[in-house]
Amino acid sequence: MSSRLVQLRRHGPGRPVPGPAADPTADAGYESVIDRGVDFSAVFADATGRNPDLVLEVPDWETAPADLEERVWRALYEVPDPEFPISLVDLGLVYGVELTEPDRAGDVGVTVTISLTATACPCVEFIKWDIRDRLALEAGVSGVEVHLTWDPPWTTDRVTDRGRDALRRAGVSI
Amino acid sequence: MSAAEAKGFRTAGDVPAELREDLSAVLLSLADNKRLLGMRYAEWLLGAPTLEAGIACSAMAQDEWGHSRIFYAMLKDFELDPGHLEHEREAGEYLNIELLDEPPPEWTGLVALNFLLDSALAVQFESLRDSRFEPLHYKVRKVLEEERFHYEHGRGWLARISETEAGRAALAAAFAPAWNSCLRWFGAPDGELIGRLADAGVCDADSNELRARWLARVGPVVHDAGLDLAARGADGTWRSNSGPDWSDWDGARRRSRGGGPNPGTLAAVRGDKNRTMLMD
Repeated sequence: MSSRLVQLRRHGPGRPVPGPAADPTADAGYESVIDRGVDFSAVFADATGRNPDLVLEVPDWETAPADLEERVWRALYEVPDPEFPISLVDLGLVYGVELTEPDRAGDVGVTVTISLTATACPCVEFIKWDIRDRLALEAGVSGVEVHLTWDPPWTTDRVTDRGRDALRRAGVSI
Repeated sequence: MSAAEAKGFRTAGDVPAELREDLSAVLLSLADNKRLLGMRYAEWLLGAPTLEAGIACSAMAQDEWGHSRIFYAMLKDFELDPGHLEHEREAGEYLNIELLDEPPPEWTGLVALNFLLDSALAVQFESLRDSRFEPLHYKVRKVLEEERFHYEHGRGWLARISETEAGRAALAAAFAPAWNSCLRWFGAPDGELIGRLADAGVCDADSNELRARWLARVGPVVHDAGLDLAARGADGTWRSNSGPDWSDWDGARRRSRGGGPNPGTLAAVRGDKNRTMLMD
């Protein structure tokens, strides 16, 4: 079974404020185990003692997240693209987040709409699994759906400045 | 009627019944042609004249299969089963141009597919970019963005091979049949599929106009390569030196009558060896 241990490195002013994630060690990173359809789960770096395979730069939020939707966006920052060493959000692949009305337990379903860099992207299922696994760690999320859209088509214009910097440092021309 | 004047179709259900079959036939034709063209590119991943050409074929094959996957999936909205379309049809049900039935025996044949046929498909996609059938808009834009490099690759190889007399002779032999196939693929001028869709604003040009656009794109390049296929008329438009041969034309399948992908091609594009592994 192949796996990647992702270490989050926070950049920016102010001190890191952990969000109300299900596990307070979430800020230390998490591991995505990629193996089609078999025991795909996320665990935390602290629990593994391993060196990270990928250091992912994420914003250093100055404030606690205002609501669940914001928390979902922050969590998505922690999902790396399978090929490029930046977050799906910085790559510009996340087009939208929608929440259902809370159920009786107060939990909500999350629908994340994404696009892909190429129509024949072979990583689409990996990306979907990584999103589902990361969001499943958030308190109050009862289920996750990932929708794919080509509207509008992804272009490099959608890559954030932070993403551009990280890609250039990794030797990817953009 | 222009696309702008007509009320848009947001789903297949909005498309009038008499148009729905025509539209699904065009989408299936594009999906089938892309699926088979991708297979032809893939056959040259190894053994192309240069390593770079093989890698380019790998990338183009990936693009074509990505595009075909999108268009097979769109047909679900027309109450067709994409899994059946991709994996279970017989050769006679494919709507591919006859040019793709057999693998080209030489690299020049692959260049003909790359330059002539891929350009013909791009011309058809461009005519759907602002279609009255709105689900096409963004998908077509994404496809065309990826196709730009295919044209450049075909044009580059055409120019490169045409530098020698032997190269020009090989190109002439490979391009002649591909030329006639592509020329007529846009359809007969009257009463056919593309004309009906153009009248309804689903695509922005009829068969003759699409053919003219394709000639304007590929004509000057094949002419510069020394191939006797097209010439510029007195009015500046590009014309084919020979008319399409309609003798065995099947307007419904937009190909020669009968036939379809050969058995090896069919088995490969359907994934016959992988049936036990189909998961979704």
